[in-house]
Amino acid sequence: MASGNDLAIDMRGISKSFGVVKALADADLKVRRGTIHGLVGQNGAGKSTIIKVLAGMLKPDAGEIVINGQSVSRLTPANVEKLGVHFIHQDRLLVPTATVGEAIFLKNEPGFGFFVNHRSMARRAREMLSQYFDLEIPAGTLVQDLTTAQQKIVQITRALAQNASVLVLDEPTAALVKREVDSLFRVLRRLRDDGIAIIFISHYMQEIEDLCDEVTVMRNGTDVGVIVPRETGIDEIVRMMINRDVGDMFPKRSGAIGAPVLKVSNLSLSGHFEDVSLQVNAGEVVGITGLLGSGVKELIHCLFGLEKADGGNITIEDKPARFATPVSAVSQDVALVPEDRRAHGVALGLSVRENISLASLKRYSRNGFVSRSLENAAVDGFIRELSIKTPQRDALVKTLSGGNQQKVALAKWLSCQSKVYVLDEPTVAVDVGAKVEIYNLLNRLAAEGAAILFMSSDLLELIGVCDRILVIYRGELTHEFNAGEVDSDRLLSAASGARAPADRSAA
Amino acid sequence: MSAVANRELTMNPSKKPPAKAASGRKAVITWLVRLGAIGCFVLILLYFAVMAPGFLSFYNAMNVVEQSAILGVLAFGMSAVIIGGGSDVQTGGIDLSMAAATGLCAAVFASMLNAGFPTPVAFLATLATGLVVGLLNAIAVVRLNILPLLATLATMNIVAGAELILTQNTVLPVTSDFTADLAMGTVAGVSFLAWSLIAFTFLMVAVLHFTGFGLRLYAVGGHPEAARAAGIGVGRYLTGTYLFSGACAALASVLLISRLSASTPGTGELLLSILAAALLGTVFSRRFVPTAGGTLLSTLFIGFLANGFQLLNVSSYWVNGVQGALILLVVAATSFAKPSER
Repeated sequence: MASGNDLAIDMRGISKSFGVVKALADADLKVRRGTIHGLVGQNGAGKSTIIKVLAGMLKPDAGEIVINGQSVSRLTPANVEKLGVHFIHQDRLLVPTATVGEAIFLKNEPGFGFFVNHRSMARRAREMLSQYFDLEIPAGTLVQDLTTAQQKIVQITRALAQNASVLVLDEPTAALVKREVDSLFRVLRRLRDDGIAIIFISHYMQEIEDLCDEVTVMRNGTDVGVIVPRETGIDEIVRMMINRDVGDMFPKRSGAIGAPVLKVSNLSLSGHFEDVSLQVNAGEVVGITGLLGSGVKELIHCLFGLEKADGGNITIEDKPARFATPVSAVSQDVALVPEDRRAHGVALGLSVRENISLASLKRYSRNGFVSRSLENAAVDGFIRELSIKTPQRDALVKTLSGGNQQKVALAKWLSCQSKVYVLDEPTVAVDVGAKVEIYNLLNRLAAEGAAILFMSSDLLELIGVCDRILVIYRGELTHEFNAGEVDSDRLLSAASGARAPADRSAA
Repeated sequence: MSAVANRELTMNPSKKPPAKAASGRKAVITWLVRLGAIGCFVLILLYFAVMAPGFLSFYNAMNVVEQSAILGVLAFGMSAVIIGGGSDVQTGGIDLSMAAATGLCAAVFASMLNAGFPTPVAFLATLATGLVVGLLNAIAVVRLNILPLLATLATMNIVAGAELILTQNTVLPVTSDFTADLAMGTVAGVSFLAWSLIAFTFLMVAVLHFTGFGLRLYAVGGHPEAARAAGIGVGRYLTGTYLFSGACAALASVLLISRLSASTPGTGELLLSILAAALLGTVFSRRFVPTAGGTLLSTLFIGFLANGFQLLNVSSYWVNGVQGALILLVVAATSFAKPSER
């Protein structure tokens, strides 16, 4: 239905491998002029790789790219903008100390010769913002004083000031509130009607359905279909996104669930989440998930003591707990497995043994001295259980591979034998075999009576491992599911606000 | 399965969005910090005006401007480095080698003149010396990715060592018509030294605040990634700032020699004043970045500070302490008022 001339972007047969990993395999992306084109897929499906190829940041191994009818043999970040393709990055790439005008016209300043005409720059910026977006911002306002939504609009204006014909927006709504999303969509529709092609990447399925004319669904590094969401609806997209054949990855577990251990009531952090209450019982694994920007990360950070909540309280076995810092959280019998394990997790210059036993030396001590035999036994246990590939227990952690470093970090936190474990994406960047080992370990901890709160973006993993799953959507705990009664379609729908499921599983 | 008591889950997803209330408070703090700092400057100057006889006289003021010329040229070089490298105190741009480079350049200039080279040749050799020091810094910071604080600390020691080798830690007296004219000459009743500061200020105002180059330099320092995304060659700009600070050191060394009629050891002690002038200047900008005007004002302030102590017969050793305290105050206050990402 799309004739060749009609296409603003025509990427054909794009392949890209990183070592043995095939990130893109014969993927196509065709975007017609004057349309808003959605690009969806789970994490690792190849969305960001194909966008990086389009941005000239990655060189494809094979494939052809045609932009506005012009075949481009070599894309670079420098020449892609000259071809009219502009990227609105997820992290707002604006100079915080620049004024709005400076941010819009940086590198294309109006003026004479070397000199910049500040007055005309400010005037033109104000005119463009007001004309395109009905946004009245005083000319001298600094970027750092704008709201997130306004910064997004300044970025788009910057692209328009350079005569963009294609706009690529990567998760533009992640940090926006509803009203701001609406006004951004009005802007995008208007630009589409002016003939600009827009590639819109989002995890929010409802937004995809509302906004996009066509959607390319990616899975396992290739495009598995182009859909017109208004005709087929988003359920079809979700079905195409999720790879259904899941192996027998998740070990079964049975154990009694005991008394409440971790209780969170009405916890709020302004700007991120509000009035979140939850509870984790002894012997229970509770999953929690939410999209980027939903506030779930910040919620976990509050439980870690990395961020301080504005209101509400946390109790552990009915004793009020105050997590001012990670140290105080640890001292209150909470074990934390932070996501950024390279930063918070391992000491690269120490040995495997030292890293693992560091947080729990007391347990291996007799009369104030560390009992090396107790310590060695415990460390060997972890090396075996997590299959940490290390020549010996005294090898330096920095000599291990990245995945094995992660396992060491995990072992360190898990060796504390705490009552409560809070885990933030413990299986990210860990190979499948190690994932199963981590699941087994969690099961064992739960069986020993620990209360486990497990944050993950991998929905299948949550369903396989957890007893209950909580969903945070735009700063609120909106759904709770029993793991046995939910599938990943419904979980994804809940997390992306696709529809409000009529049934909320029994609480 | 779960024996959890009733959970307060709200089902309406359209509840009011969390607001962004913090930005207003930040703006107030920013204003308070700036007003407080500027108020401090004014109070100190008022104190001198009342207590020190002759502080406010035209002759004294001109004297201070003249004395400040050397510091001003150096402070502008430092400001350019801070603008391009970003004003973060730990990881941002800084050139600790400037004072030592001034000493080396002065030694080169003095020994060339004493060896009988013509003034232009000696001047070019001095400029080249400054640029080589700048290039060294640029290579360390841009190519080798060493933190500016550390990289320039290392070059500082290399350069200071080179100066000692050249001068054997002695005073090299200079007698030349050129330097004598520079020290004594006047145009329209204002000395050459003062004119050089005025001209340099105009040049800096024009380049930093009225050219695209200046705007992009600020962008490079404000958010290198954003600047790169806008197609700006970040590394080239950074290299430029270090070359410029080296050139400033060379110029300052010529002014220094004309004022002292000699190259003297101990130029390295200028470093604290240079840093103070460039860092104090940031409070005159609502963005807390160095500006041409801010650097000039704080340079003059430091000049008046030293002058006031002299007039009050307070030992000049105190000036160092006060400058150090001011740096601490300003850095602490600005980092407190800066909007924090994340």
